[in-house]
Amino acid sequence: MAGYAAIVKKDLMLEVRGGRITTVLVSLALLVLVVLVFAFDRAVAQGPDTAAGALWIALVFAGMLGATRVVLSEQENGCLRALLLSPLDRATIYAAKLTASFGFMVGAAIAATILAMLFFNLEFSMSLAALMLVLILGALGFSALATLLAVIAARARGGELLLPLLIVPLFVPALIAGVKASAAVLSGAALATSRDWVGILIAFDVLFVTAGYLLFEHVVGEE
Amino acid sequence: MSKPIQNALGLSTLVAMLVALFMVFEWVPTEAEQGIVQRIFYFHVPCAWVAFASFGLVAVAGIFYLWLGGQIWDDLGHAAVEVGMLFCTLVLITGSLWAKPIWGTWWTWDSRLTTTFVLWLMYGGYLILRATAEDTPQVSKFAAVIGIVAALDVPVVIVSVRLWRTIHPAVLVTRQGGHGLEDPRMVATLLVSIAAFTLLFAWLLMLRFAELRMRTRLGALAREIALIRFRAGAA
Repeated sequence: MAGYAAIVKKDLMLEVRGGRITTVLVSLALLVLVVLVFAFDRAVAQGPDTAAGALWIALVFAGMLGATRVVLSEQENGCLRALLLSPLDRATIYAAKLTASFGFMVGAAIAATILAMLFFNLEFSMSLAALMLVLILGALGFSALATLLAVIAARARGGELLLPLLIVPLFVPALIAGVKASAAVLSGAALATSRDWVGILIAFDVLFVTAGYLLFEHVVGEE
Repeated sequence: MSKPIQNALGLSTLVAMLVALFMVFEWVPTEAEQGIVQRIFYFHVPCAWVAFASFGLVAVAGIFYLWLGGQIWDDLGHAAVEVGMLFCTLVLITGSLWAKPIWGTWWTWDSRLTTTFVLWLMYGGYLILRATAEDTPQVSKFAAVIGIVAALDVPVVIVSVRLWRTIHPAVLVTRQGGHGLEDPRMVATLLVSIAAFTLLFAWLLMLRFAELRMRTRLGALAREIALIRFRAGAA
């Protein structure tokens, strides 16, 4: 537990001192939303459906970039090797890295939500809490997958292209569930009406956090 | 892998395929509503079954590779994913060919089509990893992990896509309800086709697997020769 806290603290401190990942993720979310506002017709770009779709596009892009950065920062100067040499369990390293990339994704999700509310002319209301819950569930599943797969992509040739190819198809079920639940919440329905979708998101999270926790040792081991 | 078994399997695939072709084109009655187009069904369904079976095999081989180690499991998974992708592509193509005259479109985001397409994308990513990375034990572990993760994802994909598109076209519903295959000859033809495609799958898998095993052995031999040369040079 102390080791877990140490790695998370280290990532947090790096970010507080440099702030690179947050800046990149927030500006990426902003750019994605701006592109979508121009890409859609103005009449279309008002409704909750479009806003929900735009939010999830921003989340997926931010997640891909954020998770890659969190893993790549360990590749520099052989940091990953040092981590592996430390008396820490591999699964603990996974949990810590997952926490870091999850944190960045939640930050990006908050920024994207505020921007989407303004850009798509939506009401700030209590439904925001339900929306955040859905986005956080999606971010957890995505970062669980991304932390595992980013290590693979970082260590295989042609890696940067490989990560989206691997992660987007795997994320499809959570994407469908998340977009549907977000659209329902944004159009004013109670979260209870999308119980099935939230159930799928929770199942996805449990499945891939567990899988990542168990399988991580096989992807970080020495050659 | 012994040559006689391989040849016997190839021969029985040929015979089964010929019987299946005869049944599909000559023996089975034409379906009343869809006409001749419906006959592609006898190829489409066996392809789907084989594709799903081989993706299951990929996950099983991955688990055994991580658990027991051994290049043989990696080669099995590698062969299975390639053959599976072939049949998964055939499912999508034969489905499109059938859908154009019956549904009036090449593609629609129906739950089954979407599920198959997502599977195709997942294993496509896996194959790209195999194609771009070198053959090291590290990459074999990556492939095993991705194979397992993808298989875990399949049930979630099926559930979510079914909820997403709940309205099934009537044709699929009647087919599922057993009304589409009224004639016992249709059921017989389907079963023979499934058997023929399973044999074809086993044969292709065996060929590819044998080739990969041979490549592994050649690699080991090459390393041994290099070592002997190195020692001779040093001495």
